[in-house]
Amino acid sequence: MDKIMEFLPFMLEGTVLTVELFVLTLILSLPLGLPIALGSNSRIKPLSWLCKIYVWIFRGTPLLLQLFFFYFFFPLVLNIQMNVFFTVVLTYVLNYAAYFAEIYRGGINSIDRGQYEAAFALGISRRQTMTDIVMPQTMKAILPPVVNEAVTLVKDTALASTLPVIDLMKATNSAVNRTTDMTPFFFAAIIYLIMTFVLTIISGRLEKYFSRYDAKEED
Amino acid sequence: MSEKVILEMKDIVKDYSGFKAVDHVDFSLHKGEIVAIIGPSGSGKSTLLRCINGLNTITSGEIDLEGETGMVFQHFNLFPHMTCLENITYAPIKVKKIPKEQAVARAKELLKMVGLESKADVYPAHISGGQKQRVAIARALAMDPDVMLFDEPTSALDPEITGEVLNVMKQLAEKHTTMIVVTHEMGFAKEVADRVVFMSDGKIVEQGNPTELFEHPKSERLVSFLGSMLRA
Repeated sequence: MDKIMEFLPFMLEGTVLTVELFVLTLILSLPLGLPIALGSNSRIKPLSWLCKIYVWIFRGTPLLLQLFFFYFFFPLVLNIQMNVFFTVVLTYVLNYAAYFAEIYRGGINSIDRGQYEAAFALGISRRQTMTDIVMPQTMKAILPPVVNEAVTLVKDTALASTLPVIDLMKATNSAVNRTTDMTPFFFAAIIYLIMTFVLTIISGRLEKYFSRYDAKEED
Repeated sequence: MSEKVILEMKDIVKDYSGFKAVDHVDFSLHKGEIVAIIGPSGSGKSTLLRCINGLNTITSGEIDLEGETGMVFQHFNLFPHMTCLENITYAPIKVKKIPKEQAVARAKELLKMVGLESKADVYPAHISGGQKQRVAIARALAMDPDVMLFDEPTSALDPEITGEVLNVMKQLAEKHTTMIVVTHEMGFAKEVADRVVFMSDGKIVEQGNPTELFEHPKSERLVSFLGSMLRA
């Protein structure tokens, strides 16, 4: 018990950073994915190419490589001393925005052409067609893959431990090293599981909400 | 029907990379007139209809349209995330900037007209195809269009429920709503239309008064088309 009290507060501190990283990444990358998705779909070719290249690079290279890249990029190339946590958040946001953009794009493209035609025939502007007709209908389709990414993000936060920030993973590792006892690993696993469990609960609620206009099973 | 010409289309061509879906067509429409466009599938009748409201852009020709159009689609295209009432009120409120209470009152009137006032707060997924199409008609009417365009409004419906949609369209006809109806319903064309237009291979082959056209078809193509419809 004494041993547990020795490493637990330290691990909880790491958990706070992990949660902060997770929440900040989601809050920033979820909206950032949208303009990238719309850009990829744009008829303006250079814009479309730019967005597609962005997605290609950030999905096509390891997140770990991106973390190291930005960690060295600011001091070595730009000669700026950047806060490490800021660098980590920036990298995660850029990386996850690329994934979310692809999910959004798939959702938008799944909407039937008839919906656009009906909106056009009613004189609804292109912008309102997107915001009021297309987007709300994509929500249900994109929710499961978005939640999937969020669950992946919970676990991906552990990669931040490779840089000088103390997240749950780093705290756990050093607790094991100091105490030569493996229990911190189990504690860490439980904490990660709690986080993904909370996500599952939230996503279940959202899924119900976005399915409210569907035909019921018995119909 | 008045003498006022509300739509004038001259020498319309719609070319899909070499294939002329609409091939040098002239077409005009009077206010209050009801025109049925018939013809085999692939004859260009839907394409012509969609050129009127710009869903298809014409390759060449001239369109002079006075006023607004409303359109009813084969597959209804209701907005599934909105209730029937919201489907009808969305465009009046957001496009025409009509006050919400007024738009809702009008939508309820229209729902009553199509016999679906009880479905106002129901989502489209919970009503039948015929009911969906009636809501879609109400949605188009809510914008007070000068011309109603119907693109095969009963083709996606089971035969036994086309009647409820056709009845609503007959009601509109009685109110002298200007309509162009692309249809396979020969009975409806014969009974309701002021003029029937027969298209084949992107061209208007024959047109005129329904009785005359159905009973004394002049062109061979119309004769064989009517024959095939009878056999079907």
